[in-house]
Amino acid sequence: MTLQTFLFYVTALLTGVSALGVVVTQNIVRAATWLLFTLAGVAGIFFLLREEFVGATQLLVYVGGTLVLVVFGVMLTAQGPFINMKTSAAEWAISTAVGLLLYTVLALSVLASGPLATAPEGTGEITSASQLGLSLLGVKTGSINSYLLPFEIVSVHLLVVLIGAAYLARAKRRRGAAS
Amino acid sequence: MIYRLPFFRGAELLANCDAFAPELILCAAIVLMLVLRLFASFTRVHMGYVALGSTLAALFMAVTQWTGYGQTSTPTAYQEMMQTNSLFTGLLVYDTLTVYLRIFLLAFMVMVIWLTLLTGIPDREDSADFYTLLIGSTIGMCLMASTNHLLMMFIGIEMASLPSYALAGFLKGRRRSSEAALKYVVYGGGAAGVMLYGISLLAGKFGTASLPHLAVHFATSLGQVGATGLHFDPLMILGTLFIVIGIAFKLAVVPFHFWCPDVFEGASAEVAGFLSVASKAAALALLARFALVLSGLDPNADNLPGAHWEEMRRYLIPTLAVFAIVTATFGNMAAYLQTNLKRLLAYSTIAHAGYMLMGLATVNREGTKAVLFYLVAYFLMNLGAFAIVAFLRNQTGSEDLGAFRGLVRRSPFMVVALSVCLLSLLGVPPLVGFVGKFQVFAALFDAAKGYGEKDHTLSVILYTTLVFGALNSVLSAFYYLKVMKVMILERGLEDVEGKAPTPLVMPWGDQLYAGVFSLALLGLGLYWGPLDRASAEGVERFRPEIVKAEVRPTGPPRGMTPPPGGAPTQGPGAGGGRPGGGRPGGGRPGGGGGRPGGGRPGGPGGGRPGGGPPGGGRPAPEVPENPGERPR
Repeated sequence: MTLQTFLFYVTALLTGVSALGVVVTQNIVRAATWLLFTLAGVAGIFFLLREEFVGATQLLVYVGGTLVLVVFGVMLTAQGPFINMKTSAAEWAISTAVGLLLYTVLALSVLASGPLATAPEGTGEITSASQLGLSLLGVKTGSINSYLLPFEIVSVHLLVVLIGAAYLARAKRRRGAAS
Repeated sequence: MIYRLPFFRGAELLANCDAFAPELILCAAIVLMLVLRLFASFTRVHMGYVALGSTLAALFMAVTQWTGYGQTSTPTAYQEMMQTNSLFTGLLVYDTLTVYLRIFLLAFMVMVIWLTLLTGIPDREDSADFYTLLIGSTIGMCLMASTNHLLMMFIGIEMASLPSYALAGFLKGRRRSSEAALKYVVYGGGAAGVMLYGISLLAGKFGTASLPHLAVHFATSLGQVGATGLHFDPLMILGTLFIVIGIAFKLAVVPFHFWCPDVFEGASAEVAGFLSVASKAAALALLARFALVLSGLDPNADNLPGAHWEEMRRYLIPTLAVFAIVTATFGNMAAYLQTNLKRLLAYSTIAHAGYMLMGLATVNREGTKAVLFYLVAYFLMNLGAFAIVAFLRNQTGSEDLGAFRGLVRRSPFMVVALSVCLLSLLGVPPLVGFVGKFQVFAALFDAAKGYGEKDHTLSVILYTTLVFGALNSVLSAFYYLKVMKVMILERGLEDVEGKAPTPLVMPWGDQLYAGVFSLALLGLGLYWGPLDRASAEGVERFRPEIVKAEVRPTGPPRGMTPPPGGAPTQGPGAGGGRPGGGRPGGGRPGGGGGRPGGGRPGGPGGGRPGGGPPGGGRPAPEVPENPGERPR
C-alpha cells in the first residue's frame, strides 16, 4: 500500500463518517459542524488527485464561505423547535431503507461495470499565479473544453438567485408608507 | 507578458458571442433593470416595459439568426463555427433546433410580460425582482435547449429552476403560495441531486461529459458483452436513467409530478402559465436532444464502425413510451376530479406533457418535428387559458370552478375565448390543437409502421402508445367539457335568486389579449403550413456532430497519442490534447457523392479530401481548406 492509497483511505473514511454524522444527528448546529469535516474531506480527496485548484476552491468557497454562512443563518434564525429535528421511527426506517437500496444499486453497478475512465495525468496542477488566474477566467490548459461559458453564465445565475433570495426575505413595504 | 489564450482566438469568441447574442441581451437586460432602480427618476417606472423591450430586441436577434441561418457571407471564424455547429468549444450546439426553441421561448416571454402588464401581478415596486427572475429563468431554458454537454445541461436546468422556485412563492404572505414554493424547492433539490448522480456516473465511467462523445461510447459499448456477461453496462443504464429522471421532474412526468398541481395552484396564474409552457418546452427540447444524440441521429452516424445505434433505440423507445402513456392517462384521470380551475389546468398540462412525450418516443426526426409543432399550439392554448383565468380572477376574486357558474351571462366574450382554448386543448378540428395532436399521432403511426418489419417489439410498443394517445383524447373531453358546461349551461347564484346577472366589466386590454389568442388558435388551425415548414426546418438541420466527435472507444489512454502532425503546438502543460487527431478535418460529406470512400478523413490535419463538390441535398456552407488542426 503506497502512502497515497493509505491517505486516500483515511480521507475517504473521514468524509464518509462525517457525512453519516450530518444525517444522523438531530441538532442542526451539530449537523453543520459534521458538514465542515465532510467538505474538508472532499477537498482532501481533490488534493490527493492532484487537482490543487479544485481543492483550494473547495476549501475557500465551501469550507470557508458557505459553511460560515450556514452557521450564521442557523444562529440568526433558529428558534426553539427548529434547532432539534424530531424524526419518527417510521421516517428513520424508510430513509434507511431507501438509502441502503440506492447504495446497493450504485455499488453493484460500479462493481459490475468494470474499469472507469482514467483521468488525464497532471493537467490540474497549478504551478503559477498566472495559471490560477487563467483558470479563474475559465481557460484551462490541457483540457478539451474551455469552461469560459459556464464560469460566466453562473455569475449571471448567482445574481438572479441573489435577487430572488433578497425578494423573498424582504418585508413588503406598506402602501401608505411607500408614497 | 501577454498570455496566449490557448482555446480562444478573438475572432472565434466574437463569432460565438454573435450566435449567443439573444441570451447576452437578456443578461444585459437583467443588469439594466437593476441599475435603473438606483436612480430616483426611474423608481416610478414599471420595469415590465424595460423587460418587454429587451425581450423584443432578443427576439429580433433570434429571428435574424433563423432567417440567416447557414449563410456564408460572414467572416471565416463564423463559417468555421457554422461548420462545427458548436459554440464555446463544444459546450453548446448552434443548430436550427436551438434557434427554433430560442424564438419560441422569447416569443412566449413577450406574451407573458404583456400578460403581467395587463393583470398587474408584480406591482411597480416588485417589478424589477419579478422580471429579473423571469428573464434569468428564460436564459437557463435557452441553455437547456442548446446544450451539448452534461455540465451545461445541469447548469441550464438549475438556472431555469432556481428562479422558478422564487417565482412560485412570489405572492408573499399567502400560505398556499409559500407552501408551493417550499414543495417546489424540496422536490427540485432532490431531482437535481439524482441527476447529478447520473451525470457523475456517466462522466466517471466514460471520462467525458460531452453528449456526442458519450453517444459514441454508448453505441460502441452496447454491442459488446462485458466481463460480467451483461449485454449492457449497468453504470451506463443507471446514469442515463438518473438523468432522465432529472429531466422528467422538470417535465412533471408521472411518477415525478407531485409538485406540479400544488405549485400551479399556489402560484399566481401568470407564473403558472409561464412555468407550464416554458419550463416544459425547455425540458422537452433537452430530452429530445439527449435522446436523439444518444440514438445516433446523424447522417454520418452509420459510418461509425462497431456502433449499435439500434440497440440504444431499443432502450430509449420503450422507456419514453411507458412514461408517456402513464403520464397522459394519469393526468387526464386526475383532472376530472378538480374543482380549482388552476389545479385542473395543472393536471391538463401533465396530460399534454404525456402527449408530447409520445412524439419524442419515436426517437426520430418526424416525431420531434411533431413535438416542435405541438409546442407552439400548446403555448397558445395553455397560456391563453391561464391568462383568462387570471383576468377572471381579477374581476371575480376567485379561481374556483363554482364561482364561474353561469358566467356566460356575465362576460360572454371571455367565456367564448376560454372555450376556444379548452376546445383546442381537447383537440377539436378547426383549432391548432387538433393539428398538433394529429401530427404527433401520425408520427407515431409512421414510426410503428417503419419498425413493423425490422423490430416487432418496438412496433407493438409504438402502436400501443398510439392507442393510448387516442383513448386519452376521448378521456380528456370529460373535464374540458365539464368546465364549459359549468360556465355556459349552469345557472349562476344571482340567476337562482331571481336577480339579473351583473355583467363583468373586462378592461379592453384583457379582451384584446384573449381575442389575440383565440384568433391565433383558429388561424393557425386553418392555415398551418408556415408553422409546419418551420418546425420541419427546426429538426432538419439538427446536427449533433457525432462523427466529428472523438471516436476512440478502445484507443490508448489520453496523453499517449502523439499530437497530429502539422498541428500547431498545444499550450504549455497541455499533456492531454485531443487524441486521435481531434476533429477529423473539416469534411462533412455534403449529401450525395463527391466524397471518396464516403468515410470520414481519419488523417490528422485533413481538410476536405478530394475537394469533391458538396452534393445536392444538404446546404453545407462551402468552406475553404481547413488550415490544419486548430489549437484547442
